[in-house]
Amino acid sequence: MNKLILLTAIIIFVATSSFLINNEQPTPRRLDLPSNFPKPTYDISNNPITEEGFALGRYLFYDGLLSKDGTISCASCHQQSAAFIQADHDVSHGVDDRIGKRNSLPIFNALYKKSFFWDGGVPKLDFVPVNPIENELEMDEKMDNVINKINKSSKYKLLFKRAFNVEVITSKELLHALAQFMYAMVSSNAKYDKYVRGEGAKLNEKEKEGMVIFSKKCASCHSSDLFTDDSYRNNGLEGENPSDKGREDITLNIVDRAKFKVPSLRNIVITAPYMHDGRFKSLEEVLMHYSSGVKYSKSLDPILQTNHKLGIPLSINEQSSLLDFLATLTDSTLLTNSEFSNPDH
Amino acid sequence: MQKRIYILLMFLLSLNLLSAQSLNLKFNNNFNGLPLVFNEKLVTPLGDSIVFSTLNYFISNIQLVDNHGNIYAIPQDSSYFLLKQKIASNHTIKLVDIPKGKYKQLIFTIGVDSVRNTMDVTKRTGALDVGADARGMYWVWNSGYIFFKLEGKTVNQIDSLRKNFRYHIGGYGGYASKTINNIKVKNLTFNKLIIGGKRCPTINIDVNIDKFFDTITPVKIKEHPSVMWGDFSVKIANNYFHIFNLGKIIYE
Repeated sequence: MNKLILLTAIIIFVATSSFLINNEQPTPRRLDLPSNFPKPTYDISNNPITEEGFALGRYLFYDGLLSKDGTISCASCHQQSAAFIQADHDVSHGVDDRIGKRNSLPIFNALYKKSFFWDGGVPKLDFVPVNPIENELEMDEKMDNVINKINKSSKYKLLFKRAFNVEVITSKELLHALAQFMYAMVSSNAKYDKYVRGEGAKLNEKEKEGMVIFSKKCASCHSSDLFTDDSYRNNGLEGENPSDKGREDITLNIVDRAKFKVPSLRNIVITAPYMHDGRFKSLEEVLMHYSSGVKYSKSLDPILQTNHKLGIPLSINEQSSLLDFLATLTDSTLLTNSEFSNPDH
Repeated sequence: MQKRIYILLMFLLSLNLLSAQSLNLKFNNNFNGLPLVFNEKLVTPLGDSIVFSTLNYFISNIQLVDNHGNIYAIPQDSSYFLLKQKIASNHTIKLVDIPKGKYKQLIFTIGVDSVRNTMDVTKRTGALDVGADARGMYWVWNSGYIFFKLEGKTVNQIDSLRKNFRYHIGGYGGYASKTINNIKVKNLTFNKLIIGGKRCPTINIDVNIDKFFDTITPVKIKEHPSVMWGDFSVKIANNYFHIFNLGKIIYE
């Protein structure tokens, strides 16, 4: 009899302790990295993705709690249906209808970026959310206030406990959760990808023609299958006295005047308007700029002034083929994947 | 019973050993020879009447050099301190577990080294936590810590736009592109410092804020009411590098 009690006790002990252990360990989440992409820049081993961490990051991404008055979430300026930019906004809108400085950039493929924002002011993904949270024209909140609000929320207490096994939440867990949600957004399932990876998709003649023109005339900056070299360049939007100094504000070096991050062209058809200030409403206008609108200044990119001519020569036919090719870079799975949508809807 | 007394003795002894190998660094913020106070009218060496409201600075990467020239560095992860004038209790940095010996030099950084400025968020705890202690000491748009922050207002300026002054000095040299580096490493040499004796030493470090306005470059508030990320910050950092000076070493 005693033995039976002992055995039962052991079984109960083992069962409950293994239950407890399971409860403490978050479940690793699968992350598929496309074969046609380069090596990630983010050190995943420092912040490995888990189901719980990702789910938490998703709640935070869609929560106005991150802003001063509760009205603005990350998703306000990074909408899934617009490939995580703010649709139809030249520059981003923040709390109290304040107008931001620049056009919002997409979030996807953050895993591969060498730096963040139009001027590259933030070199690490972990610290990206701190910028919009504390920017007075965006969420106008303080990080310590966010941490306090989260620590008072029973919902978040539970979610952080599940994801990171912490009782008290700090900026580390908050930023790791947001980073997990962001870096999980790998956009690599456009028609173009399925074509280059030999997954059955075919490009039509005009799209192929566009691809050839692209590789000759655009790919020196919009390089690799990320469609950007992640560098900063002055693409001749303004002359010698630009309204926004871009990268120069970070480096304080005049050679960086009016240089901005070369954006990826993935999902470009749906991320209008274009340029750091959202000045072009359509891709037609963008191509017109490169073919005939480039203005000279000392820091203008050398590629845009070869053979003593400004811009990139592009015939009307070439522009038309290019537009068709650019449309093959739209990854509809990113726009519709319910895992990235608002969890409360 | 005897065993208990023995344990108690061991405990007391270990406490004693611990305190014997500690060192305090006490930062005394002064103005015109008196302890600095907020909300009181003060006059800078250049004749500006002012009232201070904020003074914070980072002290990091503390090292001690002994009489044989051996360097003892405080373990990296516990070598970052944010001193805030507003919080009287944090003007003293308490260092423990320092090897016994005679030391002749103290080295510390005013600011935060470049490596730590770009490290993963797991390495930004304590004084470096952007969601806690380091509030207001971090540039979010141009990632990096503000090393030295001095704010207040002038009381004799009629021009209301220039009434407030703000000095936010940072800059670790840049991540991908080289830029301003305002990291300052201070070296204080003394005749004798004994660690591990019967009494715990305190090194007083006098920080003469009045000299902030007039050491190498004169800082007239009307001309420079707001200095943050820009070339003039280099001059300000060179000024404040000189305002940290060795005070008395006392044993308690």
